[in-house]
Amino acid sequence: MQSNKAGVSRRTFIKYGAGTAALAATGLGTPALAQGRKIKIFANQPEAGVRAGLKDIVKGFTAASGTKVELSFTDHEAYKTAIRNFLVTDAPDVCFWFSGNRMKAFVKHGLFTDLTAFVDKEGYRDVLGGVISAVTYQGKVWGLPLNGTLWGNFYLSNVFKEKGLTPPTTWDETFAFNDKVKGMGLVPMTIGTKELWPAAGMFDQFSLRTIGLEKHMALMDGKIKYTDPVLKPIFDHWEELIKAGFFLKDATSYGWQDAAALLGQHKAAMMNLGAFVNSALPAADKDYLTYAPFPKIADIPRYEDFSTDSIHVPSKAKNPDGGKEFLAYFYEPKNLMKFIGPAGAVPPRNDIPKGNNPLINQAMDSLRSVKGTAQYYDRDTDPAMAQAGLKGFQEFMAFPDRREAILKRLEVTRQRVFGNI
Amino acid sequence: MTDFWRRNRSWLWPVIFILPAAVLFGVVIVWSSVQTLWISLHSWDGMGPMKWVGLGNYVELFQDPQFYVSLTNNVIWLVLFMLAPPIGLGIALLVNQKIAGMRFAKSLFFTPLVLASVAVGVVFTWVYTPQFGLLSLVYGAFGAAAPAVLSDPNAVTFAVVGAALWPQIAFCMILYLAGLNSLSEDLIGAGRVDGARGWRMLVHVILPQLKEVTFIAIAITAIGALRSFDLVSVMTQGGPFGSSSVLAYDMYRESIFSYRFGYGAAIAAVLFIIMLFFIVWYISRLIKAEREA
Repeated sequence: MQSNKAGVSRRTFIKYGAGTAALAATGLGTPALAQGRKIKIFANQPEAGVRAGLKDIVKGFTAASGTKVELSFTDHEAYKTAIRNFLVTDAPDVCFWFSGNRMKAFVKHGLFTDLTAFVDKEGYRDVLGGVISAVTYQGKVWGLPLNGTLWGNFYLSNVFKEKGLTPPTTWDETFAFNDKVKGMGLVPMTIGTKELWPAAGMFDQFSLRTIGLEKHMALMDGKIKYTDPVLKPIFDHWEELIKAGFFLKDATSYGWQDAAALLGQHKAAMMNLGAFVNSALPAADKDYLTYAPFPKIADIPRYEDFSTDSIHVPSKAKNPDGGKEFLAYFYEPKNLMKFIGPAGAVPPRNDIPKGNNPLINQAMDSLRSVKGTAQYYDRDTDPAMAQAGLKGFQEFMAFPDRREAILKRLEVTRQRVFGNI
Repeated sequence: MTDFWRRNRSWLWPVIFILPAAVLFGVVIVWSSVQTLWISLHSWDGMGPMKWVGLGNYVELFQDPQFYVSLTNNVIWLVLFMLAPPIGLGIALLVNQKIAGMRFAKSLFFTPLVLASVAVGVVFTWVYTPQFGLLSLVYGAFGAAAPAVLSDPNAVTFAVVGAALWPQIAFCMILYLAGLNSLSEDLIGAGRVDGARGWRMLVHVILPQLKEVTFIAIAITAIGALRSFDLVSVMTQGGPFGSSSVLAYDMYRESIFSYRFGYGAAIAAVLFIIMLFFIVWYISRLIKAEREA
């Protein structure tokens, strides 16, 4: 009985275009495909467009496989605390989360299913390329990467054209830009550090442009002291720009959206964040938002922060095979884009054709010349370290002269979290 | 059975009525508090196994500069919040006058109490926002630049308390208005016969009758100041760099964002002991008042 029904639904499944050959050859676990099965999905997306896309995918999946799906959304912030409860007590079969260290925290507790075999079987390694490192821990794959955010400088091309500006690409140009823009009465770079993390984004930029990816990641893993002189170029350059008045004054009073408002009011030239800055701009300016990499500082290859969200199968899922089946359907390019497209994010698969969103296309083009990627400070390092770091960087941007005291404090935290070196 | 019931109902009824409240209180308050104390002796990330560290969390806490910043801020909150009862009384006396339009004024003063504290926080944050906030516009009208109060480590706590005082004053006003409505007409009449008017009437006849209300207003204001969390969270997230944080917010940040539940529980325990001081005072006063009555 089971095999009969499974046969039917598998055919349907393939007809709807799953990972075709790979899937057919391996014959996904039959019970998972049987009719009357159910899976539960917990999601945290706030944007209406993304939610609609996901609902659409779920509908298509149910039609294709006969598996009933119970999909529930939780508020983005509340989800961060709820997940620690539901992974342990009442786990769904599929859940959304963030790759990197935040994923690692749950992997260490054995709360996510190892998806290595599944990923190999579906042949995802070829279409993901380097992005797969975001969901890899100790040589195993624990999830699938989703929306990518490429962090960098953003400006409005209409404003730049009108004022005859070009985004700076080198350290010297940055200072020339600073003087020119300030002469026009604009804030060279708007930044809101009230939510703390945007300050860490600046830290990443300076770190990746001066000490490079390898040392940066060693610092994230607690293998370099915060008081180590190797970090000096980061803070030297950063301090130089702070003291030159490059950044928005009283940044701690602004949330990132308030800071982005200055960009929208044409009172600021640039903002260093992700393409989601778009959501805080007036409709008339949205189309002009343009990406530019953070200026080059040291003579090293280009590294960038490229953070990805991710999707996982909890280890306590009641129907993990159903969960994987959904992942396979969800990850088909045309389905995936229903989810990624509305978010204005970079798709993780490199076999997705170019769309008509210039920001995404820019980021995809730009990523080709990037030598290696980090996630983002608070995703790359331990959560307790990140909390202290975010606070420290916020303080450094307001009072650069307190550098030594701040770094000493961070080193105390690093020692507590990672131990002596 | 009926015999048993008849013999024991004198104590069975009270037990049945008290039981739901006792169970709820036991689980939600007592048991959670005991568990918090237990967790505070461990290193725990909220998911994995708990590791016994004894008083380690407390030792670290007392060496943490952030703890003293937050504690100081708690004291600032407590002291400034004590402005709420007298100001509330003043406004209550004012709007209690029988003057045309006072009802409207009363409802205006009442408004902040209706607002969720998160809404109050958001509105005040907008007021304080440099460049386009209301405060900045007002300063701008006089040709001056408004200080960025939420960015100034020395001013930020005062700015947040200012926002929090608004609904708290309204709350005290309501308490006093209720008290003013239940004043004894006889005593006021007697006072009037004896020639007491204005200030002397207030100090010698009215205020003594508001003693109980004042006591409740002070106790609730003190506890409200100590558990202040929502406005800090909404307005500054403890920033800039922890300057406006209070113990309750530290507890939340350490537990939820740093995954350090043991350390968070230790902060909670310290806060609990400070609050206990006010709670014991409040309850002992209540018991005393009940005995006298």
